[in-house]
Amino acid sequence: MADKGNDPAVIWQTMIGEMEKGFNSFANQAMASPEFSRAMNQVGGATAGAQKQLGELMEKYLLAMNLPSRAQMVGMAERIQAIEGQLNEIKVLLQQVHHNSLAPESGSGTPRPPRTKRPPSEGEQK
Amino acid sequence: MNAPTGLDFASISERVQSEVQRAIQRSIKGVEYFSSSGPSLGSTPKDILAVRGTMNLYHYRPIADEIYRVPILIVMATTNRGYILDMVPGQSFIEFLLKRGYDVYMLDWTAPKPEEKSLRMEDYVLDFIPDCIRRVQQDSGEKDVSIIGYCFGGVLSLLYGSIFHDGPMKNLICFTTPIDFREMKLFSNFSDRRYFDVDRLIDTTGNMPPELILQSFEMLRPGSRVASQVQLWDNIWNDEYVKAYRMMDRWGTDTLPLAGEYFRAITKDLMWDNKLYNDTMTVGGREAKLANIKVPILHAVAEHDHIVPYDAAKHLIVKIGSSDKEEVVLKGGHVSVVAGANAIKRLWPKLDSWLGKRST
Repeated sequence: MADKGNDPAVIWQTMIGEMEKGFNSFANQAMASPEFSRAMNQVGGATAGAQKQLGELMEKYLLAMNLPSRAQMVGMAERIQAIEGQLNEIKVLLQQVHHNSLAPESGSGTPRPPRTKRPPSEGEQK
Repeated sequence: MNAPTGLDFASISERVQSEVQRAIQRSIKGVEYFSSSGPSLGSTPKDILAVRGTMNLYHYRPIADEIYRVPILIVMATTNRGYILDMVPGQSFIEFLLKRGYDVYMLDWTAPKPEEKSLRMEDYVLDFIPDCIRRVQQDSGEKDVSIIGYCFGGVLSLLYGSIFHDGPMKNLICFTTPIDFREMKLFSNFSDRRYFDVDRLIDTTGNMPPELILQSFEMLRPGSRVASQVQLWDNIWNDEYVKAYRMMDRWGTDTLPLAGEYFRAITKDLMWDNKLYNDTMTVGGREAKLANIKVPILHAVAEHDHIVPYDAAKHLIVKIGSSDKEEVVLKGGHVSVVAGANAIKRLWPKLDSWLGKRST
C-alpha cells in the first residue's frame, strides 16, 4: 500500500476538511460582531416584507388566471393527509371490532404484550 | 527530483486503476442519484392516536414479547420532523427501543397553518403535552409515563415537568437541550434585541418561515454545505455513504415553520431574557423553575454540538431539583449523537441501561 501521506485522495479529502474548518471558523468570527447582526437583520426584515408582498401579488395573479396557488395546493395536500389519518383510525377501529368479534372474552382493543419486562441483570447487558 | 520514500509503483498502478473505476462508478451513480428518490424514512409501523392541528401523537406497535410497565413519550423539537429518530431499519432509534421492550409513543409536529400563528408557548406546554400524556395513559392503561425530549422538545418537556411536578412524569431524558441561551453565541447575536425586530417580522409573516430557520442553522457552519457536496461527489460510488447522506440531508432541510406567537415568546423569554437559566420563566402565569423537577433525569449532550454547545446545555444537571441525575457527554454532533452509526454504538445502549431499570 502507498503511504497515506502520499495518497492524492487522502490529501484532497484532508484539504477539503481543513478548508471547511477554516472557512467556518473565519465566518463564525465575522458573524459574532454586532455589525453583522445589524446588517443581517436590516436585509432579513426587508426581504421578509418583500417576500410577503410578492406572495400576495402572485396569489392575486393566479386567482385571475383561474389557477390554484401553492397555499391552496398545500391546503389540499393537508386535507388529504387528514383524510388518510381518519381512514387509518377507522381501519384500527375496524380491526378492533373484527378482533373482538372473534374473541369477545379477551377484552377490548388490539392485544398488547404483557407489561412484565424486567431489565437484564448487569452481567447480561451488552 | 527523488521519488518520495514509500512510493511503490505497483501500488500507484493499483491506485490509478481503482480511481478510474471510481470515476466510472461516479458517473453511473451520479445519474442514478438524480433520477431516484431517497430511502423511505419513518416506516416503523405505528398508529395515529390523535391529530390536532400541528400536534400529532403516534403509537408504535410493540414488537417484543413482553414490554416494560412504563411507556415512553418522545417529544420532538418543534423545528424538525420526528423521523430523525426513525430512519431506516437497523438505524432507527424507535426500532431499537421497541426491540428492547419499550412501549413507545411520539409527539411529532406538522407545519402550523397560517391560522395557527396565534399558538403560544402555553398551547404547547399546558395543552398539547398534557393532552398527549393523558392519551398515552389512557391507551397504555398506565399512570406513569417517561418522557424523552430532543433539543427544543427537551425544553418543552422541562417546562411541562417544572409546572406539573407532581404529575405522571416518572423519568425524564433530555437530548442536547439548551438552558443558557446566551451561550448559543451566534443565535444570540442573530437575534440581538437592538437589531432583530421580532414583532415586525412576526406581524408581517404570521408564522416564522422555515427558510429563515434553515438559513440560520446553516449560517452556523456556512462552509459545510459546499464541503458536504464535494464529499458526496467523492463518495458517490459508495452506496452506504450516499444512503446516509440522503437520509440526513433530507431531514436537515425538512425544517418546519414555527407558530408566530410561539416564536415571539422563544425570542423574548429565552433568547433575550434567558428566563429558563435565570429561574424567572413562567408559562401562562405558572412558575417554571427547573428546581421543581424531582424525577430521575438523564441528559445526553454532544461533545461537538455546534447548535447547542456544551456551555449552553451543562446547567441542566446543576439546576434540576432531582437527586437521581446524570449527564453524559458523548462524541458526536447535534444530530449524530442521536441518530446514525455513532448513536447506535454510544447513546442508545446508554439510554437503555439507564431507563430499563427505571421503567418497571
